[in-house]
Amino acid sequence: MTSLKKQVSLNWLLPFLFLAPAFILYAVFFIVPVFYAGFLSFAQWNLISPNIEFIGLENYKNLFEDSIFWISLWNTCIYAVATVFPSMAIGILLAVFIEASGKSKSFFRTVFFMPVVASIAVTALVWMLLMSPNNGYINSVLKIFGIKGPNWLNDPQWAMLSIIFVGVWRTSCYNMVLYIAGLKGLDRQLFESAKIDGAGPVKSFLYITFPLLGPVNLFVLVVSLIQSFQVFTTINIMTHGGPNNATNVLVYQVWQEAFQFFDIGRSSAAAIVMFFLVLAVAIFQIHLIERNEKHSD
Amino acid sequence: MKLHTGLVLNKVTLLILLGFCSFIVLLPIIWMIIFSFGETSKNSGLLSLIPQNISLKGYIQVFKTTPFLRWLQNSLFVAVVQTFLQVFIGFFAAYAFTRLKFPGRTILFYFVLATMVIPTQALMIPTFVTINFFNMINTFAGVIVPYIASGYAIFLLRQYFMGVPQALVDAARVDGCGELRTMWHIYFPVSLPSIGALAIILFVSHWNEYYWPLLVLTDEKIMTLPIALVRFRNEGIIEWMPTLAASTMATLPVILLFILTQKSFVEGFTSSGIKG
Repeated sequence: MTSLKKQVSLNWLLPFLFLAPAFILYAVFFIVPVFYAGFLSFAQWNLISPNIEFIGLENYKNLFEDSIFWISLWNTCIYAVATVFPSMAIGILLAVFIEASGKSKSFFRTVFFMPVVASIAVTALVWMLLMSPNNGYINSVLKIFGIKGPNWLNDPQWAMLSIIFVGVWRTSCYNMVLYIAGLKGLDRQLFESAKIDGAGPVKSFLYITFPLLGPVNLFVLVVSLIQSFQVFTTINIMTHGGPNNATNVLVYQVWQEAFQFFDIGRSSAAAIVMFFLVLAVAIFQIHLIERNEKHSD
Repeated sequence: MKLHTGLVLNKVTLLILLGFCSFIVLLPIIWMIIFSFGETSKNSGLLSLIPQNISLKGYIQVFKTTPFLRWLQNSLFVAVVQTFLQVFIGFFAAYAFTRLKFPGRTILFYFVLATMVIPTQALMIPTFVTINFFNMINTFAGVIVPYIASGYAIFLLRQYFMGVPQALVDAARVDGCGELRTMWHIYFPVSLPSIGALAIILFVSHWNEYYWPLLVLTDEKIMTLPIALVRFRNEGIIEWMPTLAASTMATLPVILLFILTQKSFVEGFTSSGIKG
């Protein structure tokens, strides 16, 4: 009995021991920076000078009066919506097709995951070359069909679409693997019995596969939304937020204010706005997931 | 597995469709590899449909003018150490979140999820100042340490752990295993394939990491590959031959790693990863 008591008292300590390393690091490299970022958003600083001047809500006021801020906020949402939903649809279809392709299954899985394995910086550089206006690969191919391709990355009408295309290209492939994982977890017998009942392929996808993938859909939605809110590398390499802010997004603005204009206060204010925006979306999604987990219990 | 054969009208059509999609998906990567062996000609240059001349000039320039092998070593070191530490620290945290009951568990887990949501770029300035405070600018520690506690690793490990059958755990309990032994003898081996998959994912993402190393590592000798690649873009003019050659050499190792581990990678991802 005494040994049991001893174990119980030890067990009380155990979770904190297990969590300590992670949370000490979080404290130093996450919590402190978050508050410091918050503090800096009320200050004027150029990153180099020893003087940090407290100026209250001035940075926020400036930011909200700045039309570029609203443009980049809008662009962030456009990019997220236009990237996430198509790449979920493409991802799920690719997954279903690949799983049905028999022996070549593992070959196609490997192929379709390449865009995720290659670095975004490298692929952004390559896409940029492919999208060159005059003699780029894409426009050269279009020329064969008698189409004069646009200036993909420098035309305000096409620039965001091109960035979204590269985003969909990569995210679809990422989602494909998540969906393959989800498909594996489904009960095979359901499909057998649906087949016996005479359900066609489209029907069994719509009425069995898709609803059963509900939790996976949520997970994929969370992951890809969070990722697309953070889009930066493609924009930084391919368009620099241009032309005329057509591809400027929140993260890019945060970076620009800090490292191009050395306005740390404004940059931090934009970062704080983004922080709350993304956090709100995330909490909403986590709430949905928790509800889902309770349902399946 | 003939799980979804029902959806397929015709296997040949399916293979043609997938083949066509593969071509689109792989186009930039194949193009990069082919043109890294190309040579710039004055008129159409790199931007023609096929390279005009086959040459190794880009590769020769990379090895002659830069410490490329050193960068390769640096990348390997940073990616391996960071991956190991993230999985190690994450393993204990995830176990606590999955198995142990303690006050504040839900809130602390929300906190971990929140850390995943905050874009690194948003915290870059304060993190940079913190690194500077610890004198870690221009060191590998400066690249690695701030991101050892990984919400992504903790989150996925917890997902894997939740898939460990309760019967196994109960059996271990009956045999008198405490938490540490349950963790080591049940959770570790059962989720090992998933942990391997997670490690590969983390490794690849650190190998490709760009912005944080760019801020921390300014000394050429200590640079990692992705930030070194931009050095061929000096003075606004992009030198495509060495850029494509170096990009190809930076990309092939991870592609190779992925092809070799493809099976365990997807299996690990699938076996217990996303169960809903």
